[in-house]
Amino acid sequence: MKLKATRSKLTLIPLAALILVLALLPLIGAPQSWLLYAFLFFIYLAMANMWNLLAGYSGLISLCQPAFLGLAGYTLAIGTWVGLPWWAGLLGGATVAALFALLISVPVFRLSGIYFAIGTLVVPEALRMVFYLWRPVGGQMQGAGAGYMIKGTGGVSTHLIYWLAFVLGIGSIFLMKRVLKSKLGLGLAAIRDNERTAASCGVSVFKLKLYTFIIAALVTGLSGAVYYLYQGYIEPSATFNVRWTMTLLLATVIGGIRTEEGPFIGTIVVVFLYFLLARYAGYSLLIQGMILIGLMLLSPQGIVGMLRRSRYYRYLAQCVST
Amino acid sequence: MGSGDIITPLVMGILLGGLYALIALGLSMVFGVMRLINLAHGDLVILGSYGGYALMTLLGLDPIVGLVISIPLMFLLGFAIQKYLMGRAFGISSEAPLIIAFGISLVLQNANQILWTPLSRALNTSYSNLSFSIGLRQFPLTYLLDFTAGIIVMLALRAFLIHTYLGKAITAASQDKKAAQLMGINTKRVYGYAFAIAMISAAIAGVFLGMTFPFTPTSGVSFLTIAFGTVIIGGLGSMLGTFIGGIILGIVQTLGGYFFGPASQMLIVYVIVLVVLAIRPQGLFGR
Repeated sequence: MKLKATRSKLTLIPLAALILVLALLPLIGAPQSWLLYAFLFFIYLAMANMWNLLAGYSGLISLCQPAFLGLAGYTLAIGTWVGLPWWAGLLGGATVAALFALLISVPVFRLSGIYFAIGTLVVPEALRMVFYLWRPVGGQMQGAGAGYMIKGTGGVSTHLIYWLAFVLGIGSIFLMKRVLKSKLGLGLAAIRDNERTAASCGVSVFKLKLYTFIIAALVTGLSGAVYYLYQGYIEPSATFNVRWTMTLLLATVIGGIRTEEGPFIGTIVVVFLYFLLARYAGYSLLIQGMILIGLMLLSPQGIVGMLRRSRYYRYLAQCVST
Repeated sequence: MGSGDIITPLVMGILLGGLYALIALGLSMVFGVMRLINLAHGDLVILGSYGGYALMTLLGLDPIVGLVISIPLMFLLGFAIQKYLMGRAFGISSEAPLIIAFGISLVLQNANQILWTPLSRALNTSYSNLSFSIGLRQFPLTYLLDFTAGIIVMLALRAFLIHTYLGKAITAASQDKKAAQLMGINTKRVYGYAFAIAMISAAIAGVFLGMTFPFTPTSGVSFLTIAFGTVIIGGLGSMLGTFIGGIILGIVQTLGGYFFGPASQMLIVYVIVLVVLAIRPQGLFGR
């Protein structure tokens, strides 16, 4: 037993080393493009983890994640226009996203299953229209929509933004572990296995689903705000865009939906393909679509499902979890 | 439309609604039979538009005449998608078909983008710019064609579902799959035909869409949302309900544009869809 424990600690060393390298990436003089891809990896990872929590663990196939990240991004942008410091914009953005989740839960939680997916799909489309028409602060409308620069971020170094994303990405992994082990996670597992039995055993189905919806909105919003802090510019059509949903869905499903490590592996694949085919944007998504279809038919649990069939992987996973 | 006259937007809305119904009929059929939200439906419609465009530019065929070629192709494609992708996905898990549909949508969008470039295209014909008049008011002829096509396809689908053996089998499979199987209906084949027939309507919708509005490889998403709205308002699976849903949505859009300005018309459509979803998820005419 003791030997096994030390051996499992030994296998943790490369993992810890990898995390350390990622944390120090800006300081060891890595090329800018690497930093960008690592940054994207962390942002997508945090969001994909939240989508997995919703779709994989709570049965809420939410297609309105762009609404959360977009509203948070806009809160940040508008905040900098009225003189709020950027960190207040990040926190405010996450809060607005969470409140918005609470607000739309009124209509969409009346829907279940497929209807929930349809209902949530409409939300970002409606918000895009709102921001096409509504320019809350600053100057005349130019062209279509409220495009904003994020002001006063001159003092924020790109390294700091990178580390924010790093903390979010790695933090979301631990958050998932924490949530799934908590009473909330156990309740969700009970609902997933049999919603009626769970309800009759005193699990408050509505409340638990609402909590996960709000947690997911909060973290997705925060990640979105950090993303737009980096980008320095926000406009409605790219923000409230189904492409975000696609990225999160791809990362989660390619890695393995309803598995804890799925989004991690899936996000690596998505960012890697993005990197590899950066010059051929169309081909990258075409290939991702084909991978998505093929993988779903051959291994519904994604790459993790395939890996789990190998003994070495099971051993490694055991070591990491202990 | 700011002529201060409410009749014009009303008529435009009804005619436009015919196009929306035409786009939504296939979605409604697939949902009604298989309980599948086909997220790729918008892109399949746009594929129909590009099919018309290809036949028009390469062979010089009129887009409506070109349907003679594109309908059988789309029928086969639909049958293949159902047989090799969707049919298998249903055995895997409840969200698998949804995710596969998403994958198909991604593949179609980007294949179209590579083949046709992201430029905006349109199906321009000799009669594209003609108009007809009711009283003193002028309306585009393409809108009347859209409406006519919408009615014809809706009535044809309805007649097919009520009067033919295959149509009855499709209805039976949608009402109770197990009972249908016990009655000797091969539900797998029936599903294949249902999807293929939905694709025929997508091919037709694509051509009329392309004659009315310019389209790009990513237009599918916005028309998918409109089709969802139509189907939600009309109630899923009912052909007549879908048609009425389309008309309501068309009128909401043009009247919204009339009262609140053209920029906000789609926002009003989305808000109405959300309100209907919240109050009556099964649709105004759904059971």
